[in-house]
Amino acid sequence: MPIKAMTQEWMDAYKAAIQADPEYKSIAKDWEGSVSLVVNPDPAKNVPEPIYLFMDYWHGDVGEFVVCDKEKAESAKFVMTGDYARWKQVAFKELDATKALLQGKLKMRGDLPYVVRNIKTVNKVIDILGKVDTLWPDDNK
Amino acid sequence: MAGGYAGKFLRVNLTEGSWGDFTLDDDTLKRFIGGSCLAAKLFLDRYSLDADPLSPENPLMIMTGPMVGSGFPGTSRFSVCARSPQTGIWAESACGGTFGPDLKRTGYDGVVIEGRSQGPVTLTIDDSGVRITDASSLWGRDIYEVTDEIKAHDKSVKVLAIGPAGENLARIAAIGNDKGHFSGRAGLGAVMGSKNLKAVVVRGTSAKAAKADDEGFKLAMKTAMQEIKDSALAEGLHMMGSDANMDLGMVTGDVPVKNWTSGGEFDLASNLSGPTMREKYLTKAHACTNCPIACKRVVKVDDGPYTTEEGPGPEYETCAVFGTMMMNPDLTAVIKANEFCNRYGMDTISCGSAIALAMELYEKGEITKDRLGGLDLSWGNMDAVLKLVRQIAYREGFGDILADGAVHAARRLGGSAMDAVVHVKGLEAPMHDPRGFHGMGLAYMMSNRGACHLQHFVLATEQGMASWPQLFDMKDDYEGTTSEGKAWLVYNSENYGILANSLSICHYVAYAIRPETLRDAFNAITGFGFDFADLLSTGMRDWTLKRGFNNLLGISKKDDILPKRIMTALEEGGAAGSVPDMDLLLREYYALRGLDERGFPKEEVLLKLGLNELKERLYR
Repeated sequence: MPIKAMTQEWMDAYKAAIQADPEYKSIAKDWEGSVSLVVNPDPAKNVPEPIYLFMDYWHGDVGEFVVCDKEKAESAKFVMTGDYARWKQVAFKELDATKALLQGKLKMRGDLPYVVRNIKTVNKVIDILGKVDTLWPDDNK
Repeated sequence: MAGGYAGKFLRVNLTEGSWGDFTLDDDTLKRFIGGSCLAAKLFLDRYSLDADPLSPENPLMIMTGPMVGSGFPGTSRFSVCARSPQTGIWAESACGGTFGPDLKRTGYDGVVIEGRSQGPVTLTIDDSGVRITDASSLWGRDIYEVTDEIKAHDKSVKVLAIGPAGENLARIAAIGNDKGHFSGRAGLGAVMGSKNLKAVVVRGTSAKAAKADDEGFKLAMKTAMQEIKDSALAEGLHMMGSDANMDLGMVTGDVPVKNWTSGGEFDLASNLSGPTMREKYLTKAHACTNCPIACKRVVKVDDGPYTTEEGPGPEYETCAVFGTMMMNPDLTAVIKANEFCNRYGMDTISCGSAIALAMELYEKGEITKDRLGGLDLSWGNMDAVLKLVRQIAYREGFGDILADGAVHAARRLGGSAMDAVVHVKGLEAPMHDPRGFHGMGLAYMMSNRGACHLQHFVLATEQGMASWPQLFDMKDDYEGTTSEGKAWLVYNSENYGILANSLSICHYVAYAIRPETLRDAFNAITGFGFDFADLLSTGMRDWTLKRGFNNLLGISKKDDILPKRIMTALEEGGAAGSVPDMDLLLREYYALRGLDERGFPKEEVLLKLGLNELKERLYR
């Protein structure tokens, strides 16, 4: 049964998928710090308000995974912002997140060299994201 | 007079010790712009293709473009061009730094150097005129020493110099500008050395090229600065330099490992990466004239066997060729090798590739320790590598065999050597593996100076650093390990990207700004009023002109080929199991480019591009 994207239930499922992944722990062993995803509103695609997602990663473990408010999102070590359609492209692996960043389709606030050094971790969590059975806001229009 | 041009070119004959000015009409400038494109046009019109590249008859051209000196970001560049002593075909090597804008301010758009001086000389061009002076006291000294010596008299001058490698006619010799910027590829330092020309010194303050539309330029400039400020690519380059590619490229299969025989060496990459350099050895970022990105590294190694004083640091290409290619995990050794190549004046890609080849042959037992004069050239032995770098520059011992590059070395060494060289048309490939990015393989095959990542924007478009659907039909994200659709991508990325070396603008700046901004700035400077179609058409003319140049030198379809090693799949890493589909890539590309079965531009293509004289020479 698909889960509505960007809801708390979906965040829980995503967290569980990361925890269940056999490779994640070793790949992400060096990663420290929280990541927020900011989804810009797109009313035409049933995203009327911005959505803020906070995820805490720490040395191969995962902590708090919550839908949050703007203030909490901005407290994360890394804040990535983009339009809903771009995030969906990333989840579907139609657009690589690094390429989206370089092309300006996603924006990031945070330590860019740290992300580059840990690019395998970034790719891994995106890979897992695509495996969560998801109902996207514009899927049921 | 078109905007952006100083209005005249300098022709120097070192045999005669004479010089004079010449001009070009606006129509020629509008069709061939400047930089390497205009150089190719001048070469074809005025010089013999039959001359040995190291003979006095091979002209050495130093050319700027109309955007140089404008103050627009990334326009400090100039191209050095000649027939290559390494490959025998067209050679061009663009360089950033400080030289281009100052040359323009002396009142010259470019310099064509003919002949050969009796003894070592320096060519000086400044506001007071042109001088050829004795350089006997500089001969034999390395590029850092020569630059310091010349600048000791006037630190405001800009210096272009060769080191011992150029003097010794090593066919991989480079030309250095102010220590940290190089025209590296295809042996142009040897051409300069063959002329007994140790240095070109410029200091220009008075001449100023008028812009066609000052207000339009200011607007384009403001837009460009904002786009660069907003660009994550520019931010990454500022923070990590071009070596930001090391970690990312190892994941995608871009980074060659162990002389192109391996992949997936993530720890090795991490030791050599841009973030590591930043954390441990970077003292500051350095910018070419008028560049807000400042991607250049200034580094210092305080301790250990490879202690290095503060100075220019290595680019990604150098970190790969003296790092992953040699199975060397020590970034300090790469920094030292970079310093040696800078001082001796050698292209790091060619030098490192030749040494990596020798390491492989040493492992196979095809080169013995005796033949190496006692050097143990095991993978990762950087003490031996550094000794060999010096030997190459001075053509001593085994270094003499490697001094002309990996292809010449393989021919002399025999055995399995040629199968272990990754080159196209005699030029060693830069550090981007076509098995990870098939479009780059096609770009290597079709680049007019041999395997090259800088005659086009394929690196940006195929790897996703930039997406320009407004320019041509392209996707935001291409899978690297497929050949489908790549001919179209490469063809268009060439037509746009090749302009970088005629407009004389840095690739990185062009990646970071929108094509509209570059077009608007170019038009505001020149007044040419180009639309995107005009720009792409100019790129087509540029590519076709140089292809014709090479065709006249014997290049044909047989030379458009990837080497055996690249057509052998890797077992590990991001490119594992993948090789480019050469037949598909070439078939589609040939159709797009209008090449006939011989690999010559078809007559109708030449006529459409206004290359009538080239058509007459190719089809006479």
